[in-house]
Amino acid sequence: MALLEVRDLVVRFRTHDGTVYAVNGVSLDVEQGETLGLVGESGCGKSVTNLAVMRLLPRPAGRVEGGQVCFEGIDLAAVPESQMRELRGRDIAMIFQDPMTSLNPVLTIEEQMVETIRAHREVGRAEARDRAVELLRTVGIPRPETRLKSFPHQFSGGMRQRVMIAMALALQPKLLIADEPTTALDVTIQAQVLELLQRLTSERGTAVILITHDLGVVAGMTRRVYVMYAGFVVETATTAELFAHPRHPYTVGLLHSIPRLDASEGEPLIPIEGTPPDLRRAPAGCPFAPRCAWRLPACWKQNPTLEPLEPGTILERTGPRATHRIACWNPPSGEEAAAGRPLREGFVPASPPETATGGAASGGLVAEDLVVFEPESEFLTALLGAHGLPDPPEEGRGR
Amino acid sequence: MRMSHGLWGDAWRRLLRNRPALLGLGLIAVFLVSAIAAQWLTPYDPYRGVLAQRLQPPTLAHLMGTDLQGRDELTRVLYGARISLQVGVSAVVMAFVLGGVAGALAGGFGGWIDAVVMRVTDVMLAVPGILLAIAIVAWLGQGLPQLMIAIAASYTPTFARLLRGSLLVLRESDYVTAARSEGATSWRILLRHMLPNALTPLIVQATLVLATAIIDIAGLGFLGLGPQDPATPEWGTMLTDATERIYSTPWLVLFPGVAIATAAIGFNLLGDGLRESLDPRLKR
Repeated sequence: MALLEVRDLVVRFRTHDGTVYAVNGVSLDVEQGETLGLVGESGCGKSVTNLAVMRLLPRPAGRVEGGQVCFEGIDLAAVPESQMRELRGRDIAMIFQDPMTSLNPVLTIEEQMVETIRAHREVGRAEARDRAVELLRTVGIPRPETRLKSFPHQFSGGMRQRVMIAMALALQPKLLIADEPTTALDVTIQAQVLELLQRLTSERGTAVILITHDLGVVAGMTRRVYVMYAGFVVETATTAELFAHPRHPYTVGLLHSIPRLDASEGEPLIPIEGTPPDLRRAPAGCPFAPRCAWRLPACWKQNPTLEPLEPGTILERTGPRATHRIACWNPPSGEEAAAGRPLREGFVPASPPETATGGAASGGLVAEDLVVFEPESEFLTALLGAHGLPDPPEEGRGR
Repeated sequence: MRMSHGLWGDAWRRLLRNRPALLGLGLIAVFLVSAIAAQWLTPYDPYRGVLAQRLQPPTLAHLMGTDLQGRDELTRVLYGARISLQVGVSAVVMAFVLGGVAGALAGGFGGWIDAVVMRVTDVMLAVPGILLAIAIVAWLGQGLPQLMIAIAASYTPTFARLLRGSLLVLRESDYVTAARSEGATSWRILLRHMLPNALTPLIVQATLVLATAIIDIAGLGFLGLGPQDPATPEWGTMLTDATERIYSTPWLVLFPGVAIATAAIGFNLLGDGLRESLDPRLKR
């Protein structure tokens, strides 16, 4: 049994401008003591997945609409809030991206640490304080007895993140969710904080979900990786396998957009064209299709599921032999992945189907803008005609 | 490493470097000393005058002259500070507490509590403050406690809205999410993490409201809705009596007017200074 099992998790946000399809059926497993990487661009659902695990989604907008989250075999959706509160901090802890805003500015470090410890352990103030001093020393804060009296604004960013790590590990949690723990830090400090995190969690056997958009961090820290895109897991493998043989076009793109020291001179960086899709539209087809160089006509119509790379293999979700799985209709070959572009003779990425939602969307935009300015109706009709769109309905005009 | 003086210590230090705020503090000090020490600062009685010495212009014996009943005007202005301070501070404290509790419930728990509190404040805010106060005095009758209640009622919705707004922002802040991720209870989060952080704008607002409350007290007094006993040395009431004789005895209008303005400006300058020194964006 894995420590944490997430099955087909679906999270949506109901907002004033419609539904946001944030997480669309994500499954992942975390074994005891392992460090797992969760990679993807901003807004791809990495953080939302983890907030859903903690049951900390912003309410009432964010809702889990499907799937299951089991921690040590217990379905977390069925647990009452009071028990969930005990679990938070004690069994599952979190470190947030921005250490500048994750500590309460009006309370001293001592007040915040002692409070966290005493929320879960039946210990006195003095004992909790001694524990806090010890923790601060462990994370490398000099003169912890004096620093305990300081306020967060008297610490540097790196030091604050160390304090956050100390607080997160205060109760020896079984799982630590680190949400971009080094993104807001200087590069030199990043390495120190990562080293600290790695040392402390491996000493204590704490499992870690490391959320990041930095593949360099993943390479150094994790054993397995999940690559997320637009609320889907698009590729998962052991870290070594993923870096050696990336097979999803998005992963290939990510790897080619990192500058490398060992690249021969003049070899260009290949950026991923375009931007992530608008999650306010229900996913239709592969979400990566509009940016993909390998897309087929099928990619526009149906979203591929996450399947083992070699059909027929026994699926091992976790462990060192975890099966390499991808969600792609047309995976790049090894040579193509190395080159970062399709090498097949005469291959042209499939253009979007005529009836695609894209046309309707731009029609909506054009009409909306023109209605505001109340134009001559022939002009509007001509403009819409030029875009291959039907005439606007009567009631839509001159609002 | 810089020595820590705590959040309030640091704010105080910044306030002392702010010249307008220092001026405000000075004016408030004058106001407070007059209010507290009036009976030691003047040999005269604020209620009984010497009719033979009525309507005297300022002299060495009567620095601000005397009024229609021969009472020393300076004495009445000093005692007037006491009335303004008592009524003003108690009204603002009452508005702060009532509005604070309502805003904390609305912003901290949301849902139907929020809806009810916000609709009630909407209704109260729809009526101009001074009109609301006049209505309450007309309903409860004249007197200083009624005056206090009237002014408190007109400022309660302001505090409720302000606190609710801050709490709504704080509810989504990283450290509140962090506290929740550490397993803190909702009460603990509200009382320990959200309220202390939402309190500074409320304190700034209270200082600024005190300035307008002093003007409101004088305004209601001027309209004849002040203390029951017209002989009470209340600044607004004093003005009403004096306006009839503004050309013959202008000092009777000038000095209470200056007193009202001084107290109001003092609290205004302090409020602005506090806003600057407590603003987290200016934190160094």
